[in-house]
Amino acid sequence: MSVPNEALAEEVREALRVVIDPELGYNIVDLGLIYGVAVEDGGVTHVLMTTTTKGCPATDYLRDGARDSAWSVPGVEFVDVTLTYEPPWTPKMMSPAAKEHLGITDGDGW
Amino acid sequence: MIGATLSRWTMSYFAAALIALIAAEGLIAAGFGFPSAPIEAPDTLVVVHIVAIGWLSLLMCGALFQFVPVLVARPIHDNALPLPTLVCLVGGLAMLLLGFLQLAGRVAHGLPFFPAAVALLVLGFILVAWNLGRTMWAARPLTLAARFVTVGLVAFGATVALGSVFALALDGIATAGPLVDLTTFGIPIHAAAGLGGWLTLTAIGVSYRLLAMFMLAPELDRASSRGVLWLGTAALAVLIVGGIVAICHGGSLPLALSAAGLLAAASLGLYGNDILYLYRARKRRKIELNSRMAGAALISLAVCIALTVMLIALGRLGEHIGAVVFLFSFGWLTGLGLGKLYKIVAFVTWLETYGPVLGKTPTPRVQDLVVEPRAIKWFWLYFAAVYVATAALLAGAPLVVRLAAAAMLIATCGIVAQLVRTRCLLDVTDKLRLPAGVRQPQLLYATPRQT
Repeated sequence: MSVPNEALAEEVREALRVVIDPELGYNIVDLGLIYGVAVEDGGVTHVLMTTTTKGCPATDYLRDGARDSAWSVPGVEFVDVTLTYEPPWTPKMMSPAAKEHLGITDGDGW
Repeated sequence: MIGATLSRWTMSYFAAALIALIAAEGLIAAGFGFPSAPIEAPDTLVVVHIVAIGWLSLLMCGALFQFVPVLVARPIHDNALPLPTLVCLVGGLAMLLLGFLQLAGRVAHGLPFFPAAVALLVLGFILVAWNLGRTMWAARPLTLAARFVTVGLVAFGATVALGSVFALALDGIATAGPLVDLTTFGIPIHAAAGLGGWLTLTAIGVSYRLLAMFMLAPELDRASSRGVLWLGTAALAVLIVGGIVAICHGGSLPLALSAAGLLAAASLGLYGNDILYLYRARKRRKIELNSRMAGAALISLAVCIALTVMLIALGRLGEHIGAVVFLFSFGWLTGLGLGKLYKIVAFVTWLETYGPVLGKTPTPRVQDLVVEPRAIKWFWLYFAAVYVATAALLAGAPLVVRLAAAAMLIATCGIVAQLVRTRCLLDVTDKLRLPAGVRQPQLLYATPRQT
């Protein structure tokens, strides 16, 4: 990915913060639900994401919300959002800010 | 499709169920049925079936239409079928209640209420089983939670089948000796299959998943949770097969009931251990109202088991079975149901209202749809009233039971008012309530987005 594309990917990640997980009430980037953002030449953007649990009723809304928010970034011409459950999400994937916001303790195990 | 769908008619099921709960509590407070009347009286059967079918079964069916897709990560087989199913179940319940009132001499004889009840309730059950069964069949191999639901549905079928035999025998249609024997002696099997098999095993399965989801705890599929399923299934098999064989072929029904009870107690012991593990392993230290109320319900289940053991030891279980069933139905099943309802209504309302604009505009959190400090006092009043009523039943004080039931009724109305506020978005701040593109949800049904 070229330097301009990396910058655009960072803008997309920032835009994705408007999407919250409704149950946890925090943005999907800091929750660790975004596994990757890649921008190709021509503004073609790929978002790899997950949800906190497989079968979550909010899955389609989260996927479409990620697509819409990414598409709102100037320079993005096409967005492809892929859902994956490999690896499955765990609270360890949250940013320190998200953990603090939710009062989630660190520790061993899950 | 990996995600689950929004259940269109779940809110209608919840509304019907809550009306039934309020009606049942009102009847007990008014002195209708047990303990103001004998436990086997037709009036008592009216109240019992309003609770078992009208409240608990409709609540469970509505929740399953929303959450079985979550358990198996597939959409529901048919999102339109739950409405005719609801009509069959409510119509069947109405016919059944009229049949009991006919038995009591409160309604004129001559109309075939019991056969009509059997036809409608059996059809309703078949529609439930078909829709949920097809959904789960398409998702094989099943998750542990879905296997609990499967066993629960089998128990539901057995309960409906036994109830149908009873109703047809009471109407004089079923006259064969074994069917009359079943009607005379089979009520414990019918009640235990319904409350223990259908409602409790299903609630256990769903609770494993929901508690893990809402408390950020690991999902359990370990030896002990599989043990809960196998022991619970064995208890049901002994109860239903052993019990029916004992009645129809001259065996010992108390022996079958005792064996089933021991297996059930072992299953519940393992379940209690699993739930303690879940609460301890949760990542969210500050848990929400729904998880706290689930804890209170689980304590009620433990108290109920301890009470049963104590009464057996004293040789007085038969005398106080009404108190045990009351605590099981209202402390455990209803306590859990009301607590989870508080969360599910907010969650489903959020999905319907704000899901479509996610990513387009700032949205509230699910927790922004509720005000827990205002709601929790109604829940504590409810649980306190249940325990007072149970103690009064044990002490043989029917007037205190009626007063406690009135307190339960007031508490339930308080909780229902919170649910209506949630559904109407009344507790969401003005700034976030209805951003562009958001529609106010309907009170009694959901409008899934078009895909």
